[in-house]
Amino acid sequence: MSKIQKVTVVTCFLFLTIVGIAFIPPAWAEEDSAWNLPFRLHGFWELAGGLRCGDSRTEHEDYDLLESRFQLKFTYYPEIIPKLADWNSSIFFKADFLVDGFDEEPDGELREFYLETSPLSFFDVKVGRQIITWGTGDLVFINDLFPKDWVSFFIGRDDQYLKVPSDALKTSFFSPWVNLDIIFIPFFEPDNPIRGKRLSFFNPFTNKLVGEDAHFYYQRPDRNPESPEFAIRLNRFFGSYETALYGFWGYYKQPSGIKEPLGQRFFYPRLNVYGASIRGPAVGGIIHLELGYYLSKEDQAGNDPLIENSSMKYLVGYEREFWTDFTVGAQYFLNQLLDYADYRSSTPSQSPRRDHYMHLLTLRLTQLLYHQDIELSLFAFYSPSDQDFHLRPRISYEMTDNWKISLGSNIFGGRDDFTMFGQLKRNDNIYLRIRYSF
Amino acid sequence: MRKRHTRLLSLALLLILFITCKLFAEQKPLDGNSIMGKTLNAYYYAQNDGKAHVFMRLVNKEGKERIRDFTMLRLDKEDGGEQYYYAYFTKPPDVNRTVFMVWKHIDRDDDRWLYLPAIDLVKRISANDKRSSYVGSDFTYEDVSGRHLNDDEHTLIKEEAINGKNAYVIKSTPKDKDEVEFNYRLVWSDKQTFLTLKVEYYNRRNELYKEMITNKIEIIEGTPTVTKATMKDLKGGHYTEIEFKKIDYNVGLKKNIFAERYLRKPPVKWIK
Repeated sequence: MSKIQKVTVVTCFLFLTIVGIAFIPPAWAEEDSAWNLPFRLHGFWELAGGLRCGDSRTEHEDYDLLESRFQLKFTYYPEIIPKLADWNSSIFFKADFLVDGFDEEPDGELREFYLETSPLSFFDVKVGRQIITWGTGDLVFINDLFPKDWVSFFIGRDDQYLKVPSDALKTSFFSPWVNLDIIFIPFFEPDNPIRGKRLSFFNPFTNKLVGEDAHFYYQRPDRNPESPEFAIRLNRFFGSYETALYGFWGYYKQPSGIKEPLGQRFFYPRLNVYGASIRGPAVGGIIHLELGYYLSKEDQAGNDPLIENSSMKYLVGYEREFWTDFTVGAQYFLNQLLDYADYRSSTPSQSPRRDHYMHLLTLRLTQLLYHQDIELSLFAFYSPSDQDFHLRPRISYEMTDNWKISLGSNIFGGRDDFTMFGQLKRNDNIYLRIRYSF
Repeated sequence: MRKRHTRLLSLALLLILFITCKLFAEQKPLDGNSIMGKTLNAYYYAQNDGKAHVFMRLVNKEGKERIRDFTMLRLDKEDGGEQYYYAYFTKPPDVNRTVFMVWKHIDRDDDRWLYLPAIDLVKRISANDKRSSYVGSDFTYEDVSGRHLNDDEHTLIKEEAINGKNAYVIKSTPKDKDEVEFNYRLVWSDKQTFLTLKVEYYNRRNELYKEMITNKIEIIEGTPTVTKATMKDLKGGHYTEIEFKKIDYNVGLKKNIFAERYLRKPPVKWIK
């Protein structure tokens, strides 16, 4: 069977399955009886395709996204075990099944599978595979060191795929004065790195843009008791202002260290982060401030050219609805590389050198139309210091309560090949997604 | 002996004085402001707390329908004062498990949050535009959680019967004209229950452009309650029907429910 046939067959199969599920006699679908059952079943089926400007470096020159995806979400309220019911417990399961026309194979991913319960009035536990998010930034993350999938983000998958699930134990303690979250992640999970298969990127060894010919090796920390990660957050309100302190002990989520330059071997150096944030109302909108100190544990002096230096990161943002259904959000992010003199003197003169201060501006515009059935949005990243940008325009239309269509684009540009968005300049794409939710 | 008599007499006098004052006060005709205060309390502050399943039907002029279903929890700090709202969405399917929370304030902008479960994101939403549409419906945020009494001048203009019920007709004119899209509105308030029976919105050219009609009132746990209403955009032809089911009052909600903890982990006991 050809690839297209395969995708068609499986798509039809999945489509029929969900239509079937959606029209099962409304035992659990009907509003009034829905709450009497101890479980809920939801999900969607989606067809997504992304055309790119031709780049022969990547696996497929003309497209970077072609998939039919079926997601099932299942919430269960365990009533058989009285203790768990008393504790307001729920079990949540979410899995994706997809036929990937890019990889030319079917695939499955367990997105979430956890038990959430409150054994004490002031104590919650959430254990299992889960998506974890905190911090105040809008697509700019300082204290949120939970893994991300930037490949999905840049090729036009739904925003939810930016977050990679963590297998974690999350415990939360609540009091009138302060709340505490402690997250324990036994095994390190990195960001999904750009490998050159779908997106071409910069190779620091050859000083040029590469695609699937980049045979980089990313070495994860060993799966031993010494490689867990911990993240904590202390938070409380002052009036309408939410304040938080954060701590993280783990690893860089990007392969920010080079093990063997000749073998093109990267690794994930140890990282501690200490940060704080505040968010609340100001001049008719919402303002947020966040900062973080990134301590590069394996290069504390900053003189190892093969390992990322420590840094300070600052973020300030403001969002406001300027008129009905039109919202503007703007952010300014600053990354200050520490021990810069050591960094300068230890970096070989022929390699591209990063700036002491990296400035990044973001802008989000959202306009809702026709009773919020249509959403026009634009998210823009622009760095005046790196002289690069990334634009994300999108139009989505909810045709019915179940059908939604989204058309969008990812546009990259930059003066240099080695900056964050500049390296992606050959990956501009236009994507289309059609989704049926149930 | 004499002393005792005097004391008794003064007590009796005080009592008489108190009763006359009370009678006098009750006979004093209600003015627009106090009727509106009672109307807002009857609709938005019924009992101390409340829980309901809310069903919205959004219909455009071609008859195309969208739905919004959510469970709503409400807790009042005091009548006419601060309130907490929690809405857990079940439909449409793509917003299933989304939560919207409001801390309603009197002296400043409300605080609003949205929880997006797919990315575990607690988002803060700016609340300066109270006249924005609530989840795409013809109801505004203010229609759902109530407009502050002091935001308008209220005058009683007449009394008339509507659908067999005697009602006060109040004209409410916004003090800050730039803050809202209507020039004034007329509110029909039931003389017995003080529930809103009808609201008409007039624009700057004094044309009627939007109308809310109460379709159904039921007595829930002894409290007269609006259980069905329709808001219609008379120019665009779009309308939204809102229906409240499984209403329960004084269920014992606590303030701590209205917090980030329960945005991320819905209170199963209450939303069921």
